[in-house]
Order: sequence, then C-alpha cells, then structure tokens
Amino acid sequence: MAVRARRGVFRLSRAAVTVAVIAIVVIAFLLPYLWILSSSFKDQSTIFSDVSPLSWKTFWPTEGSLANYFSTIETKNVGRAMLNSVIIAVLQVIFTLVLGSLAAFGLTRIKFRGSGLLFGLILVTFLVPMEALVVPLYAWMGDLHLRNSLVAVFLPWIASPFALFMLRQAFEEIPTELDEAAYIDGAGPFRVFWSVILPSVRSTVVGCGLVVFLFSWNSFLWPLVVNSSSAQQVIQVAVAQSAAPGQLPNWGETFAGAMIATLPLILIFLFAQRHIVQGLASSGLK
Amino acid sequence: MAFVTPFLLFLIVFQYIPIGMLVRNSFFDYTLLRPDDQKFVGLGQFERILADPSVTSTFGVTLLFALGVLVLVVPLGFLVAVFLNGRFPGRSIVRTIVFLPVVTSVAVTSTMWLFMLTKNGGLVNSAITGLGLQPVAFLTSIPWALISIIVMSAWQQIGFAAVLFLTGLQSVPDDVIEAARVDGASRARVIFSIILPLMSRTTLFVVITMTVFSLQAFAPAFLMTSGGPEDSTSLVVYAIYNAAFKLQDPGFASALAVAVMFIALVLSGIQSLFLRTKWSY
Repeated sequence: MAVRARRGVFRLSRAAVTVAVIAIVVIAFLLPYLWILSSSFKDQSTIFSDVSPLSWKTFWPTEGSLANYFSTIETKNVGRAMLNSVIIAVLQVIFTLVLGSLAAFGLTRIKFRGSGLLFGLILVTFLVPMEALVVPLYAWMGDLHLRNSLVAVFLPWIASPFALFMLRQAFEEIPTELDEAAYIDGAGPFRVFWSVILPSVRSTVVGCGLVVFLFSWNSFLWPLVVNSSSAQQVIQVAVAQSAAPGQLPNWGETFAGAMIATLPLILIFLFAQRHIVQGLASSGLK
Repeated sequence: MAFVTPFLLFLIVFQYIPIGMLVRNSFFDYTLLRPDDQKFVGLGQFERILADPSVTSTFGVTLLFALGVLVLVVPLGFLVAVFLNGRFPGRSIVRTIVFLPVVTSVAVTSTMWLFMLTKNGGLVNSAITGLGLQPVAFLTSIPWALISIIVMSAWQQIGFAAVLFLTGLQSVPDDVIEAARVDGASRARVIFSIILPLMSRTTLFVVITMTVFSLQAFAPAFLMTSGGPEDSTSLVVYAIYNAAFKLQDPGFASALAVAVMFIALVLSGIQSLFLRTKWSY
C-alpha cells in the first residue's frame, strides 16, 4: 500500500517537474518569438499599450494588419535583399558542395604521396576564425575588384574545410570494392565519382548543403563589411536594427523585417531538422 | 590530385593569402583610404595592445563574456540534454523550440533582445515593472550591458550545447547506468557519479566550442550596445571592426586579429591534445 502510494507521489512529482521544465522552456525560448511575431502585425502605439501591463494581448495581435510588412519591404529594400541572400546562399551551397566533394574524392579515393599532409594543411584553416580575416579579405577584395558584388559575399568561403571534413568522413565509409568493380567495368575516375560514390553519400551531401545554407543565410559581419551599397545588401544586414544613438526605430517595421529574415530558415529547419541538427553537431560551430 | 586542385586553389587565394596579408599588415601603420602609404613599425602595434589599457580591456571584456557564456551554457545545456534524453510527451516539440535560436541569425536575435531589453516599452522591463520593481537600463548601464549580451548569447547557444551533450549522453552505455540503479543509486547520484565523469570529453568539447564562439562574437556588441557604456561591452572582434573600418587603423586591427587567431589556435590545440588522449574510465 505505502509503496504504491509513494510510487504514485513519485510519478506525480515527476510529471510536475516535466510540466515545469516545459513551461520554462516555452517562456524562455518561445515567448520572445511570439512577442516579435505578434507585434509585427501591430502599429507603434498598440505595441506599447499591449506590452505594459503584460497580458495575452502582448503575444497576440487583436487587430493585426500587414502594414509593417509592406512598409519595411518598401523602405529597407527588403525584397531586393531577400533575392540577394537567396542567390548568394544557393550559389555558395552549390560551389561548396562541388569543390568539397571533388576534394573529398581526391583525398579518399586516389592515394597520392602527401595526401595526409595536404589534409592537415587544409584542416588548419578550419581553426582560423573567419572574423580574424575580415580586414585583409576586405583589402584583398578591393585588389580583385570584387567589392560591392554578390560574388564577394560567398566566394571566400566556398573552399570550406568544414564541408570537406564532413564529406571526407562519409566518403571513407564507402567500401573501396564498389569503385574497384566500377573500374573493372571500364569506368574512369570521374564516372566513379559521379555514378558510384556521390549517390551513396546523398544524405551527407544534403545535410552539408543545408548547414552551408544556414551559415550563408545567417552571416552578418562579412556582408556588412564587404558590400556598402544597398543594391548588394543581404537580408540580415538590411533588417538588423542597431542601438546607435539618435535613431528612433519603428518597432513594428523592425519586427516585420526580423520575421521576414527568419521565417524561411525556420521553415527549412522544421522540415529538415534531423539533417541540420546532425550537420551542425558535427561542425562544432564553424 | 586533380580532384583536390580547385578546392586548394580557392583555399590558397582566400585563406592562406589573407592570413599572410594579416600577419604582414600587423607590422605596418596605414589607413584603408590610402593603403599605399605604409610605414613599417615592427612590433609597434603589438606593443600598443599591451600598453594601452583601453585595448587590453577589450580582451578583458571578451574573457568575461566568454566566462559568462560558459557559466550559463554548460550547466543549462547539460540539464536540457538530460531532460531531452528522457521520455515524455511533446519531447520533440521542446527540442525544436530550444533549437530555434540556434538557427536564427545572430543579427535577428540581437535585434530581438535589443527591443526586449529596452528600458521604455521592452518586454523584460514590462514584466519587471509588473512585479512592482523599478525598470532597469539593461543596455546602457554597467555591468548590466555586459550581462545582457552574455544572457542573449547564452540563450542562443543553449540548444546547440544541449545537442552536443545529447550526443554524448546517448553514447553512455545503458548497462552501466542500470547496474548503478540496481545497486540502489539515486537519480542524482547516477548523474553526478557516473554520467558526468563519462561526459568529461563532451564537456571539454562544449567548453572549447563555446569559448571560440565567444571569441568570435560581434553582432551583440555592434547591434545591442555599440560597445558601450564606456567600452564595457567592446568585444575584441567589435574592436577589430572599429579599428579597421571606423578609426581607419587597419595595421592595429591586424595586430588584434593576429592575437585572436593565436588564441583560437591555442584553444584548438588544447582540444585536440585532450581529445586524442585515450581516457580510461
């Protein structure tokens, strides 16, 4: 009897802890998004009157409109910035995957003297924070006459040690008997790469591509530095609101911009969560 | 070799050459407006870093920032991971929610928190005044400004740390835990005496990853506090940006960047040293 009662209490308290943790997680991680999202449909005065005192209205638009979305698209050139970001991210993903998978094939399949040393030299650059290279890269881009172009935003990062590292690991797990059979059948190395190896690492390629897309879409410092004209601005730079004194921001417009910059990624994330989480976990941030 | 060449070419042009330029520029004094008018100053720029207290403080600020992020992210990330490792309804939804800030750009999260923490009309101060307390100038007073960017960054990274810890947790063999439970160990005892020691490798990985992340942080200082008040949130990458693009002093910025690169390499060196050692339990 007593044992059963105690077990019941234990279960009850565990359930209570679970509910409490879920509540904390929702408040800490979801409410900020809800506030921004609901406020993006409100005008300035409604945002202020709804935020204090706190109520359900703080997180729900009672008389929502899309006005902020239209005006932020107009004033901050958000449409153009979105298009720029899409072009940059897609090209960055394609070039990164092409260079990375070719190099991974070369390093794992065609043994040559010094390939280990070469891989080591490549990996060292993995450890150099990109932020440290912003100043020389800015000058270098000027020398190459690439400043203020979409190409400048992604070109320095397409030889990605992260992508190479991730792809190389997947390539190594494919048994070499597979390529040997293809070579006996008369296939050349490029044919083996394209029709034998690549199809067997499809899910790694997808995961790698998604993570590169994420990095590209979310990057801020480099696009801010290298492109000063608004025609080449990316979405993150266009919508970021700084605390610089003397600015009176329009809250609703800022929130609408933040939502526009975030929603595409959240949608991709919801559909490809497993790939992205695994890819990021293997990247260790870079 | 032919397959590696394109990758290598781009790596040399956009990584190795800039690294070389960076190191070289750190020995010169010049401006970005007139890059040809350069003066060799030897180690002068590095002497400036050590001599100027306002510069030394940028490394102090970054160190405090990194420590603050670690103090929040490591235990909370671990707790979230332990929690997510259990079975309960809605687990995958909780995991998705915790991971949302990880996939949100730092430009957006900084902007979000800038408005959440604003003194007049911000969400957090509204909650504080709702409790009958005085509003806090989170972004414009010392030490709140630094605390604010620490909390924002930790908030963004907890989900990432949790995923790393979760991977580690799932590699802890179940039979060890079961054996301990059979011997009568409590849940807390299992966590502290078995799981934590087995997770030391993962923990080190999280610590190094978060330290390197903190070293690279820029947007919170740039967007939320502009490095202020009184440079109390001037993170080192923000200081590099300011020196190069605002103060027209790229030689000095290069010296700062060389220091950052050096610290990152040392940290990664420590990591690979530890990760390579075979630890016996």
